[in-house]
Amino acid sequence: MTAVNRVDVLIVGAGPAGLSTAIRLQQRLNAAGRPERVAVIDKAEKVGQHILSGLVFEPEALDALIPDWKERRDPFVTKALGSEVRRDDTVFLTKTRAIRLPGWVMPPYLRHRGDLVLSGSEMVRWLAAEAESLGVRVYPGFAATEVLYGDSGVTGVRLGDKGRDREGHPQVNFVPGEAIEARVTVFAEGSLGQLAEDVVRKMGLDRGRIHQIQSLGVKEVVKLPADHAFGTNRVVHTLGFPLTDVFGGGTLYSMDKNTVAVALVLALDWKYADLNPQQELQVFKSHPYVGRMLEGGEVIAYGAKTLPEGGYFALPQPYTGGALIVGDDAGFTDVRKLKGWHNAMRSGMLAADAILEAIERDDFSAEALKRYEELLASSPVIADLRRGRNYRQMFTKGRTVYLGAPLSLVSRFVPGRIKTEPDYRGMKRVHLKRDYRGGYDRLSDVAVSGTIHREEEPSHISISDPDGCASCFREYGVHPCAYFCPADVYRFEDGELVLNPSNCVHCQTCRHKCPHQVIQWRVPEGGGGPKYKVL
Amino acid sequence: MNYIVLIKQVPDIRNIPPDAWDWEKGTLRRGMLDTVCNELDRQALAFAAALRREQDGRVVVLTMGPPFATEVLRYALSICADGAVLLTDRKLGGADTPATAYPLSQSIRKIEREMFGGDRNYLIITGMQSVDGDTAQVPPQVAEELGIAHIAYATGFHHADGALQVTRITRHGKEVLSPDAYPALITVTGWTEPPFASFGRTAWAFDQEIVTWNAEDVAADPARIGLTGSRTTVNRIFSPKDVSTKDCEYLTDMGRLAERIGQLYSARLSSQATAADAGEEYRLPEDKAPTFRGEVWVYAEADEGGLHPAAFELLGRAVSLAGSLNEKVGAVLLGAGVRPLAADLIAHGADKVYLAEHERLGHFSAIPYTETIGELIGAHRPQILLFAATPLGRELAPRVAYRTNSGLTADCTALDLIDLKRAGKEYTGILRQTRPALGGNIMASIITQNADIQMSTARPGVLQALPRDDSRRGEVIEHTPASPEGRSGLRLVSFEPVQATAQLSDAGVIVTGGGGLRTKENYDAYIRPLAAAMGRFLGVESMVGASRAAVERGMIDRGHQVGQTGQTVKPRVYVAVGVSGAVQHLTGMQSSDIVVAVNKDPKAPIFNVADLGVVGNLEESIPQLTEALRAGEVSR
Repeated sequence: MTAVNRVDVLIVGAGPAGLSTAIRLQQRLNAAGRPERVAVIDKAEKVGQHILSGLVFEPEALDALIPDWKERRDPFVTKALGSEVRRDDTVFLTKTRAIRLPGWVMPPYLRHRGDLVLSGSEMVRWLAAEAESLGVRVYPGFAATEVLYGDSGVTGVRLGDKGRDREGHPQVNFVPGEAIEARVTVFAEGSLGQLAEDVVRKMGLDRGRIHQIQSLGVKEVVKLPADHAFGTNRVVHTLGFPLTDVFGGGTLYSMDKNTVAVALVLALDWKYADLNPQQELQVFKSHPYVGRMLEGGEVIAYGAKTLPEGGYFALPQPYTGGALIVGDDAGFTDVRKLKGWHNAMRSGMLAADAILEAIERDDFSAEALKRYEELLASSPVIADLRRGRNYRQMFTKGRTVYLGAPLSLVSRFVPGRIKTEPDYRGMKRVHLKRDYRGGYDRLSDVAVSGTIHREEEPSHISISDPDGCASCFREYGVHPCAYFCPADVYRFEDGELVLNPSNCVHCQTCRHKCPHQVIQWRVPEGGGGPKYKVL
Repeated sequence: MNYIVLIKQVPDIRNIPPDAWDWEKGTLRRGMLDTVCNELDRQALAFAAALRREQDGRVVVLTMGPPFATEVLRYALSICADGAVLLTDRKLGGADTPATAYPLSQSIRKIEREMFGGDRNYLIITGMQSVDGDTAQVPPQVAEELGIAHIAYATGFHHADGALQVTRITRHGKEVLSPDAYPALITVTGWTEPPFASFGRTAWAFDQEIVTWNAEDVAADPARIGLTGSRTTVNRIFSPKDVSTKDCEYLTDMGRLAERIGQLYSARLSSQATAADAGEEYRLPEDKAPTFRGEVWVYAEADEGGLHPAAFELLGRAVSLAGSLNEKVGAVLLGAGVRPLAADLIAHGADKVYLAEHERLGHFSAIPYTETIGELIGAHRPQILLFAATPLGRELAPRVAYRTNSGLTADCTALDLIDLKRAGKEYTGILRQTRPALGGNIMASIITQNADIQMSTARPGVLQALPRDDSRRGEVIEHTPASPEGRSGLRLVSFEPVQATAQLSDAGVIVTGGGGLRTKENYDAYIRPLAAAMGRFLGVESMVGASRAAVERGMIDRGHQVGQTGQTVKPRVYVAVGVSGAVQHLTGMQSSDIVVAVNKDPKAPIFNVADLGVVGNLEESIPQLTEALRAGEVSR
């Protein structure tokens, strides 16, 4: 018999969407003098440790959430206000050259002047402090593994067990996962959130939608000497090298204390069986243009995370009885701008508004929570996504990515929805045969992600059909997962899979990209995973 | 029975961001590290919870720290505590161990008065040491300040006839002790899996009030807290290693390799023992008086098995220090029937042996030993007292230091004399005490201040003994303990001699097998004989270690794992066989003196930190090396 805990509002995931929901809701509950309690749970040991983002941020969403934020006297605000983009370059890279695209060519959604360049993990820590000061309870270290359903729809979640050994037996310190029942549960797990997927599937919320597709971002933060050439208040976006036929590109953003965030974002439908994204990042850094800017640098942080790119037609119905879905968990990233943070925050705020109405009416049925979808529909979130509909999908229709680019300008005029294959079907027996040399090796990068899991905990990864691995090798000539995992979790020795689950950075690329879909990734014991600080 | 658990918020040293090091200032930017509850204090919480299950009462948790240390109090509440006290005050900052033990003791007295209504039936439980300070000094010093007994290294307990019986491991076996009087203090080492908090209790914990006290609330004497109350101070912090990569000497002949290992080993030892490249040996300046006066003493640990070999190592160093200071060397010997051992001490360098024999001192117990040594110190006022950082030394030295208001530095890896100008004061002929901290991630050099006696503990195997010289002369000075009938506060229930499992951290030589060995059979066939031969060849304790890959493949249990998620070790000689040298492994062994690497991949990163390297098949090289070491041992 496991204990049952009850809260009024449970938010799963302390990211920008979840915390915005919590902050807005608690603000309004406090103003109305209402006693309802808001609880946020997060699987990281501490808030912010599983957050990774660009982050080039449109501050209007924060102005709406915390109107007086600019007047706060704290290190985060000071840093944020000083981070405004003043130099904004988009560059096309060939193997050796860099061609700067003139500003007037760039569509408005790809211009960043005036945006703030922030660290996502830092901002989330700041948002969590704000939430707690309002009276929200934030509980890190708890991973939700199962959605609980009842007659009215979603009734809560069950947490994962803690203290099992390798074989799954309870140890002396075993704590069984408790159930948390809530009048409404907000799913804010971020990209590839499994609980939201479960709700969408069970409640049929994706009827008539196209399936979601993702990109993977691998990111390093590089500490440079004080006199470095890159400069402050600057963002650079690149296209082309190192991969001209994978949708995506590189980014370089100035961060504080002489650091630069360098990242490569790659769509997960890539065809190369031997593409190693962490190593492609090193290749990107080796380009003369990039290398010059990062000269003398030392990598002080690393991480990887996916982002949803399906856009408007991939959005599920984001509500059902007793539940709402916010942020990247629903897929609100604007893929034209490649920005999801502001939409995550806005969706959270609108969810909060809908929840308050539900509380006041004491009605958490699907009919009542439909209000959330209505609020979204008349908000900039949906308006932006509608304008960007079919955008990403259009890139798959040109034979190369860049043929798709001009088509993308007219993507929204295409009637109906452009369908694409699921990402994992993109794999072909095609090899990059890249000579990976120089730069940081995968394990060294994993070391600066801070990722750690309890050594004795059960493996959170299993293979549903080991024959799948053998046939993968036959079909593709290599074991793709040994390449595409950004954290070197999958290795093959003498043809046998050797797992290192404790290296995992929780990006879930593996279960998404495995061509035979035999990788089962479950959320590990709460408290484990990366320890991002400045990503 | 009530319980007070002392816990500490410490930096999370499992993951130190590269840019947290400020090498120019020689500091670590602690603000850049996450904070966690000290691992052994989690064990203490589990211990308290288990005790309470058998004997109900209140569990109050206490920590001294900055305001955000409430984080660990909330954690403790979510595990088992039902009351939490934060002692926080700027005036308490910068404190060393006695200046921490004292205000904590004052807080304990206040908890006893105000929360337990004056009821003295309680136990104080804490983790043996913290991962940042690493000294294990505060708990015994709290016990000394409160005048109570302590049981160190507890690994379990049970109740018999209504009395609490605590099990602990000593050098020679398993002891069961029962407190005679309450309160008593128990320090806990790893005894169970660290506890997890349930969600329900975590939510409850957040709603609990945390009592906050400052220095004035606990009536702490300002002269005994903070920097003013500290008896040691950190002079400098530096990196344990050169950041540059070593130049690896590659060899193909195993006989030559064995020879080179022997040569490098001897060279390292002699450079440590004498600190002598020409002119480096310390000399007192002619025009200045030394800051401290008195003899240089060592505590000679003796028990049923005879003298601990570390006593001779301490004497070796003491002779050199005393020579430079123009003072005599004294050895303190306590026990019953230990008189014959005085001759051994003199033969290894002692000018005087201060002998205290009494039935009460027959079996080690902290309070009578502390009192007796305190009497000797009071009578003879040495300027230096060295202890071996054995389990016994680590629980005895802190009480002795606290009782005599001396400065104490634990686990020193180097002890030498210097002159120093610091903060407007001049020091002449003082002891510079160098030790690792933060899990071995930094080295600190420490000096004694505001005290008359400089005390240190040094790890066995770090200092070198002088060769035995039976022609040396010395005197035995007998001392009668002043209060021979005094109570120790503990009753020895039973003692069972047991071969204590050696710690990796104590080994002078570690031979580690990595994933390259592939199977347990290979590990046992290659690594174990090599480790044994290496140990005999060099005349030090040797142990086997493993990389995580080896442990994962079932070659050996996790207790032997070296690396980021295993143990951090700093042996004289580290041999890595079939270890690739990924950074996760290197962080666990990079401070080793001499590194020997054997790997068939010439590009393996392990060679970047190796002094001696062999590129080749371990199936051939290892048996050959083992043979060469055996042959070399015979010929030495």
